[in-house]
Amino acid sequence: MKLAWQNIVHDRARFSVTVLGVSFAVFLMVFQGSLLAGFLRAASRLIDASDSDIWITARGVQAFEFGIPIEGRLREMAAGVPGVLETSRVCMAFAVYRTPNGKQQVVALVGADRNVGKRFPAPDAHGSTEGMSPDAMLYDVSDRDLIQVTALPTEVEVNRHRASIEGQIEGYGAFLGVPFLFTSYRNATRYLAFGPEEAMYVLLRVDRAHSISDVQQSLRQRLPEVDVLTRDEFASKSRTYWTIRTGAGGAILTAAVLGFLIGLVVVSQTVYANTMENIEEYATLKALGASHAFVARIVLTQALICGALGSILGLLAVVPTIRYAKSLISWLYTPWWLLLVMVVPSLAMCSLASIASVRSALTVEPGRVFRA
Amino acid sequence: MPNHFLGVKDASIWFGKREAQVRALRGVSVFFERGTLSLVMGPSGSGKTTLLSLLGCLLSPDEGSVFLEGEVVNGLNEVERTVVRQKKISFVFQAFRLFHSLSAIDNVALGFELRDAALPGRMKMARDLLIRFGLGDKLNREPNELSPGEKQRVAIARALAGNPPILLADEPTASLDARAGKNICQILRNQVDEHGRTVVVVSHDSRWREFADRTITLCDGQVEKEKGSL
Repeated sequence: MKLAWQNIVHDRARFSVTVLGVSFAVFLMVFQGSLLAGFLRAASRLIDASDSDIWITARGVQAFEFGIPIEGRLREMAAGVPGVLETSRVCMAFAVYRTPNGKQQVVALVGADRNVGKRFPAPDAHGSTEGMSPDAMLYDVSDRDLIQVTALPTEVEVNRHRASIEGQIEGYGAFLGVPFLFTSYRNATRYLAFGPEEAMYVLLRVDRAHSISDVQQSLRQRLPEVDVLTRDEFASKSRTYWTIRTGAGGAILTAAVLGFLIGLVVVSQTVYANTMENIEEYATLKALGASHAFVARIVLTQALICGALGSILGLLAVVPTIRYAKSLISWLYTPWWLLLVMVVPSLAMCSLASIASVRSALTVEPGRVFRA
Repeated sequence: MPNHFLGVKDASIWFGKREAQVRALRGVSVFFERGTLSLVMGPSGSGKTTLLSLLGCLLSPDEGSVFLEGEVVNGLNEVERTVVRQKKISFVFQAFRLFHSLSAIDNVALGFELRDAALPGRMKMARDLLIRFGLGDKLNREPNELSPGEKQRVAIARALAGNPPILLADEPTASLDARAGKNICQILRNQVDEHGRTVVVVSHDSRWREFADRTITLCDGQVEKEKGSL
């Protein structure tokens, strides 16, 4: 296969263009893949962060961000179902936030009970919130510019109520373009003017002695006017809403597919041009007794070399780019396996791109070798 | 015919379609014995190269037969003909047809690889072959760094890689000066005398007459005359 390698490196300009084309495709696919992975994760991040097994929501709620109030008594009714170990509450609504210097900003205010889960961002639930005031709020460090917090604590207003930003967290940055603020459930109901007879999400932990699906069935029978979903079901519903129903996921996927197609076209063109430029050599090879498999292997090897080198180059470029982009898009997320998995479509892309070239090389008439 | 090593019988072949159709060979019968050097001459368009293509299993006749070691080979499919070329036939071309991105030694090593991919020591055998042809100091030169005579010697070395019994040469001296041309004539003559190969040379070059056992002259797709013993 020395011929395959020598043929492609002999024309360095064309070889570089091919490798750059693959790199670009890999870069785009990994970047868009990271956007999609981050988007999916962010779409259900708060649901996933809870320790609860079951979420009770108003009928038809599609995503965490669009909760509808339900009757507060449902919490007590749920608590009476056999197998329910513990209940807690979460609410979320948009509020007007005002900094001390008068700047106003819409925020998504999330309130949660202390027992929602250790990973859930609430001052009561967080281990590092000792000494915080009852009005304490947390913000994500990536939203500092939007929140305009220069020091902690900072006195602010939320829906014309006094509040205090007293802590910062990471990993829960603005997903809707609106920063999140996290506080206790009690505070949130005050800021959002929720009545004591209202709730938004009732979360349940199930006794391990009971099956979650059995408890879910019992709850559905007892509370027919609301949706009773496992945590995974609600997370999946939320992700589906954001990625499919809003079209955002489709747009990101389209860009990733476009990256694949651009790479495919670039590699196809360059590998084909290389094959046609060397078509007389393929005729010579066939005249000298080269089998179809031998000829096909040369063309395919050329494409795969370009694919492998392009993938490495693309990955080397995309890793620091994503690292930088995370400072602008906090929810961007690159699973480690995405980098490895992307090598597969890039090699598949190069193999696909070589089909036309392989056909040309295989169908060349060996008898043309005698034409001067 | 089974007694003849290589040949065509009543071979006819047409090129082109309808009004543009040309009959390149018209019922040609010509045979070549093992261990001989035969020269095929004739004006342009007389069918010399077409005859060589039939003998080399690169084309099949529309009529007639092609024989190799007493067997009819024109009925073979493309894969089978490829195997025949791989095992028994090699070519030397006017335009050398070396692989431009490979060095001289890699070109010859590829010749060995094509005949037997599992053959060990290909590079050493390629080196020995090139040294025998006086190219020991140019093993790693690419074709564009070699003179025409050197290129043709590399091409012959590649053709001889794997020891094929038949060598078909199309105008092998046409691009060479007198000295280099004579050198190539001698090399191919030696292949007959020392290794018993069967060599068929198509050429306009009259220098070949003194090296050939037999000369066949074609004209308008037919054998016009033969000189020398069969």
